[in-house]
Amino acid sequence: MALSDGPANVQNRNSERSPASIAWTVWKALFLREAVTRLSAGRAAWVWLLLEPVVHLIFIFVLFGFFLQRVVSGIDYSLFIATGILGFILARNTATRSKEAINANDTLFTYRQVFPIDTVLVRAALEAFLFLISALCLVTGLGLFGYEVFPHDFLQVLLAFAALWMAGIGLGLIFSVASQLIPESGKVSGMLFGPLYFLSGIMYPPSTIPPAYQSWFLLNPFVHGIETVRTGFFPQYHTIPGVSMGYLLAFAMVTIWLGLALHVRFATRLVAK
Amino acid sequence: MIIVDDVYKRYRSDHGMGKWVLQGVSFTIPPKLNVGLVGRNGAGKSTLLRLIGGIDTPTRGLVERRCRVSWPMGFGGGLAASLTGRQNAKFVCRIHGHEEDLQDRLRYIEDFAELGESFDEPIKTYSSGMKSRLQFGLSLAFDFDVYISDEVTAAGDAAFRDKAAAAFQALSDRAGLIMVSHGEGTLKEFCKAGIWLHEGRAYWFDSINDALTEYKKSLHR
Repeated sequence: MALSDGPANVQNRNSERSPASIAWTVWKALFLREAVTRLSAGRAAWVWLLLEPVVHLIFIFVLFGFFLQRVVSGIDYSLFIATGILGFILARNTATRSKEAINANDTLFTYRQVFPIDTVLVRAALEAFLFLISALCLVTGLGLFGYEVFPHDFLQVLLAFAALWMAGIGLGLIFSVASQLIPESGKVSGMLFGPLYFLSGIMYPPSTIPPAYQSWFLLNPFVHGIETVRTGFFPQYHTIPGVSMGYLLAFAMVTIWLGLALHVRFATRLVAK
Repeated sequence: MIIVDDVYKRYRSDHGMGKWVLQGVSFTIPPKLNVGLVGRNGAGKSTLLRLIGGIDTPTRGLVERRCRVSWPMGFGGGLAASLTGRQNAKFVCRIHGHEEDLQDRLRYIEDFAELGESFDEPIKTYSSGMKSRLQFGLSLAFDFDVYISDEVTAAGDAAFRDKAAAAFQALSDRAGLIMVSHGEGTLKEFCKAGIWLHEGRAYWFDSINDALTEYKKSLHR
């Protein structure tokens, strides 16, 4: 059965695909491909995806939970950490995974219809998808242990997570271009998330920071997202003044805009050798 | 028709710009013509194919494709090592907009490549010949006006080369081929015209035999 000969086939080939439909089919195909690669990498890769936040949670809980107070600002410490970790992991994983997207998919640029930016955006989308699944598992698990896991303002929690994800995309877009053009910058951006982990108020409430330093602390956009998740989750939680979704959203918008601009500006450099 | 107009190309290295690979290359490839590229190692054959295939851009000059051109097949490019042949084939079908008739295309690719059960094994277990079979099958599953092959037939065995040649014979009334090969027999079998790349310039020959003669003369100079 030869598909590629005979005049009949020549007539009905779809040479008039619009750019949008090409981009859409590329995204779909890339998403499936990335998902398969992620889930089939190593033995039971999906187990590790689900376990990452859980292991994180248990680690911090064992490390600090016994020494620190068990109740923070009127809420349970484990839920306090869980919300912080989920928020931070979402932003960090989106940024770091999409940063590596161009390098990891190098061979795919053999196909003209695949652009570097496609691989970055698709990775970010996959990261959100995997995050939803693992967060759902974590919350369900905590719920089974008797914790009160239903957020009192579901919409606000969702919005805060979405904003953290968008900030991750923005950083991922910028880092992906930067690490291709200046390889050393990849190492720097990789180190960035180490200190940020401790500066994002994951395992301590920001209210423990002396008021004089809070304005510095609030420069970190992730704090705003994580604290908004918490105020949406727990009605009795008290955050520090100055926490605003607007700051995080503005950060996300600016970084996404800058990242897209970089991708447009260096489109040929990213593919060319 | 493919128009290459005054194309210059040099690569960027860690120490600034490299030397010119192509310097003022111009030619026009008419439709349905099979063209072979010859030249010594490093003459810029693969570079020229990448420029024609549109996966790299010339430093100066213009490459215009007035037809559907395949991606350059060769050296395992475009195949993900950790995925199986089938998964790779599915991906390529999808990005070419063949979601609906995916199974038909897959069957064609599977039949052409004749990989047997290896079709469902990861690419990293493939020999280079098996990769060539898959790549050739992949590109033939779509209706291109011009197919680009970078030494893809070199790794295949005699049976595969015959099959590929027969497939191109069948396509010759509607599609062309641009190929790089160091096998004289392969070039004569597949191609009619020839381009000889020498010191950054391209020389067009209406007969591949003349191109080969000129190329061999330059080797003994």
